[in-house]
Amino acid sequence: MTDLSRTLALSASGMQAQSTRLRHVSENVANADTPGYRRKSIPFEPARLPGERWGQASGVRAGAVSLDQNELPRVYDPGHILADESGHYDGSNVDLLVEMADAREAQRSYEANLKMFDQARQMSQSLIGLLRR
Amino acid sequence: MELNTNFAARSYGAARPLTAPDPMAGRPSGARTTAGQFAENFARTLAHAETTARDTMLGDADPHTLVTALSEAQLAVETTVAVRDKVVEAYLEILRMPV
Repeated sequence: MTDLSRTLALSASGMQAQSTRLRHVSENVANADTPGYRRKSIPFEPARLPGERWGQASGVRAGAVSLDQNELPRVYDPGHILADESGHYDGSNVDLLVEMADAREAQRSYEANLKMFDQARQMSQSLIGLLRR
Repeated sequence: MELNTNFAARSYGAARPLTAPDPMAGRPSGARTTAGQFAENFARTLAHAETTARDTMLGDADPHTLVTALSEAQLAVETTVAVRDKVVEAYLEILRMPV
């Protein structure tokens, strides 16, 4: 595996991780009004590319989902089916503003990886194009 | 006359195996050649791209893998075409050589 084709695989693993991140953000946004829903977040961890040993893992992948353990907000709605004696029920601890910022960050990182992918491909192409002169 | 024809046919039959092309001729002893390895590698890259494309269409693989595989296949084809052009050019150059 040459350096340039490794760059392609690396950028692809970055894009894959960012799209997984965006999927979890959209799950959070979709469940922003679900009672008792805890916000999901994922850590990024090093991943091996094909043909790499454990010590030299250079790619990235999305790790296991962890749930936000912050306290759920108490929503006052006596008519709600989940409301207790005091008329409150547990809402979700999703903050839409945080999710929007996270989604935008995922987009920017994705674009950065895409740019690297494109650049590595262009470099390979111009190197081979040298043979055609 | 009859005997002579028989004899000729038998001799021809005996000599035929000697003129048959030797399948091992022209092949270097030992491992495969570098050009053969290159061709094999190239075929494997193309096959991988095709498999990935099919898997993506069926929903088994993610599009990033497809894009990576197709880019690698494109680069492999461009490399092969460039090398072939060079080889053909060199051959034509030899043909143009005044004898």
